[in-house]
Amino acid sequence: MAYKPQYGPGTSIVAENRRKQMNPGQKLEKVRSVTDEDIVLILGHRAPGSAYPTAHPPLAEQQEPECPMRRIVKPTEGAKAGDRVRYIQFADSMFVAPSQPYQRTYSEMYRFRGIDPGTLSGRQIVECRERDLEKYAKELVETEMFDPARVGIRGATVHGHSLRLAEDGMMFDMLQRCLLDEDGIVKYIKNQIGEPLDRAVAVGKPMDEKWLKAHTTIFHSLAGTSYRDDAEYIEYVQRIHSLRTKYGFMPKEE
Amino acid sequence: MAKIERTQKLFLKSLKEKFRGQDVESETAEFYKFGGVRQSPRKMEFMKASRAIEMDRGLAMYDPERCHLGGIPMGQRQLMTYEVSGTGVFVEGDDLHFVNNSAMQQFWDDIRRTVIVGMDLAHQTLQKRLGKEVTPETINEYLHILNHAMPGAAVVQEHMVETHPGLVDDCYVKVFTGDDDVADDIEPQFLLDIEKLFPAKQAEELKAEVGKGMYQAIHIPTAVSRTCDGGTTSRWSAMQIGMSFIAAYRMCAGEAAVADLSYAAKHAGVVQMASLLPARRARGPNEPGGIKFGLFSDIIQANRKYPHDPAKASLEVVGAGVMLFDQIWLGSYMSGGVGFTQYATAAYTDNILDEYTYYGMDYIKDRYNVDWRNPSVDDKVSPTQEIVNDLATEVTLNAMEQYEQFPTLMEDHFGGSQRAGVIAAACGLTSSIATGNSNAGLNGWYLSMLLHKDGWSRLGFFGYDLQDQCGSANSLSMEPDRGLMGELRGPNYPNYAMNVGHQGEYAAIVGGAHYGRGDAFCYSPLVKVCFADPALKFDFAEPRREFAKGAIREFMPAGERSLIIPAR
Repeated sequence: MAYKPQYGPGTSIVAENRRKQMNPGQKLEKVRSVTDEDIVLILGHRAPGSAYPTAHPPLAEQQEPECPMRRIVKPTEGAKAGDRVRYIQFADSMFVAPSQPYQRTYSEMYRFRGIDPGTLSGRQIVECRERDLEKYAKELVETEMFDPARVGIRGATVHGHSLRLAEDGMMFDMLQRCLLDEDGIVKYIKNQIGEPLDRAVAVGKPMDEKWLKAHTTIFHSLAGTSYRDDAEYIEYVQRIHSLRTKYGFMPKEE
Repeated sequence: MAKIERTQKLFLKSLKEKFRGQDVESETAEFYKFGGVRQSPRKMEFMKASRAIEMDRGLAMYDPERCHLGGIPMGQRQLMTYEVSGTGVFVEGDDLHFVNNSAMQQFWDDIRRTVIVGMDLAHQTLQKRLGKEVTPETINEYLHILNHAMPGAAVVQEHMVETHPGLVDDCYVKVFTGDDDVADDIEPQFLLDIEKLFPAKQAEELKAEVGKGMYQAIHIPTAVSRTCDGGTTSRWSAMQIGMSFIAAYRMCAGEAAVADLSYAAKHAGVVQMASLLPARRARGPNEPGGIKFGLFSDIIQANRKYPHDPAKASLEVVGAGVMLFDQIWLGSYMSGGVGFTQYATAAYTDNILDEYTYYGMDYIKDRYNVDWRNPSVDDKVSPTQEIVNDLATEVTLNAMEQYEQFPTLMEDHFGGSQRAGVIAAACGLTSSIATGNSNAGLNGWYLSMLLHKDGWSRLGFFGYDLQDQCGSANSLSMEPDRGLMGELRGPNYPNYAMNVGHQGEYAAIVGGAHYGRGDAFCYSPLVKVCFADPALKFDFAEPRREFAKGAIREFMPAGERSLIIPAR
């Protein structure tokens, strides 16, 4: 019987949202448009329009050894071209931001190829070949996995995920890479590493509380859905723990 | 699991003081207006001191307004003060870095410079091999000589250099025994009197364990162990012990029996505070990585002073443990950074872990009728998986909800590792105090980590999470990896050797299992008695209070050097 991913347990809206983000069979809702050039500006790895710097010659020009793995695993476009490995890093507010660190990693692993994600409490980084990164970044920013106010694109000094929100609803960022403008649109004035941009990059209006609560993937008893209320989820974690305790990492059904 | 009512929030007073004039339950705050580092008196002091140093040495130093993020200093949010838990003392975070805190330094100095050496082997050598008479009078005379020699004075030689007593006044030797008759014959100045130092029930238990043997609690000079290392302690002490025996019992300095005395003092009869680490750690004995968690819980004396509050006793171990294992061991010995303090202090500031732990105490009383205020083996619950799961789940959910209900609390513990360690510690302590089983406590810790990670989709950092996702398999059932009981584990246990925010809490979980049973000790009765000594520079019954004193610069450490340096 072929393995069929279940994308996690739970009966709550949080659990349902998690499954939706992870499941590559479900199309993520596009919420905003950000141009390719603007994505490149926020990333800050290369100037828009410039050639992709390379770490090695294109694979087609290299003497690739005969290798069964190479036949099975087709290279991504970035790998084919020999692009550098670069990154995008997100900080997600615990005040019901739409995605959260482990959720991002799980979703990216299901949806993208050739990636190396890293998961921490206050940030989540994904590294991959540069042209692949730009494609993935666009999807991560334009869809329901992003909110301009509660999600930050931050290469360094990510502090803010657990802090109270600023009075305008923005997540704290000591570098203030993006600001809520008077027109109600969030604009990046610095790239993700904090270098000033020549022009502001608009990433859209913050989503409202109702939308955030309906789309978030974090349990939160004050701002969203209480973890305690999803009994199935808790029981599932307890079960995994119990089986690992008794049987190590070769669990048996009881 | 079922939420229980608990109206008291131990952290509220701290939050209201830290965020004075603000609604601690508000989800919003003002930022970017605090003046950066200039909002902090301590950072201002640092800048002023640095300017003077720069003028003196002609070389740049502390300059946060230029060097931090290209001119954006920290302090774009409010730089918080911290209350050292259980003390009511508010301090600057900087004051809890061990470099800035003399009490923290002395805490570790006092452990590193300590060994316990049995006297019975030496007495047998003197009596059986040399035919010498050993009496209370000769023992007292020997102790007089030893307290002259141990700080670094000569007893046999002619024309020898010696150490200045004013520089080594923290060095001395006392003895203890479980035999009341023998103890009565020892001069009070040299005796650690178990009867007087411990509550009656604990004293009886300790005396029975120590037995009729006699042990020397030896503390070599702080200045020596600082200049050398922990491995020096047994060598320094053994040298002075040997010379003192020669002097006290009129032995020949070169006779072969001296080798027996040396062997006893250096090897056969010595109890180190920490075992030798593997070569890749490059540390000798009596260095932090080799301290077993059970032994560490015996070093801390809070259960002696507060026998009816195993939660407090355990929380004192947490504070002491994270300071030593996170701030000093992992933070500096192993990593070389300065950031570990920020992680570690979360576990002993603002009464947050205290609140979560006492919620657990209320829960075990309410749900399982554990009378935790009267520690006993009689009402301990079975360490079954079902019970551990129930305890850890409820304590985890409560703690997560507190962070959610009080956004300033979340802001206080702004890092995931801080929250994860604190929540899991409360679960571990609740489980171990309720069951009297340290491994049940560790298992509660690991379930908490899994629940936390899935609830908030985040935990700590890469390596932090690895440890906690392996832990279910090596705790309550030790079968999967042939693991150890908690008492015998230590900072160098597989998977434990890498991450901040764990080791001090693990030690406390081990301690809690015994404090909850009302045991007098966790691992070593000898260590328990040794650190009950009121003459030690650091009061091991009140580590958090001592750290607070260090933070406000009221702690007087050893290691005096003003006698031998120019006056300022």
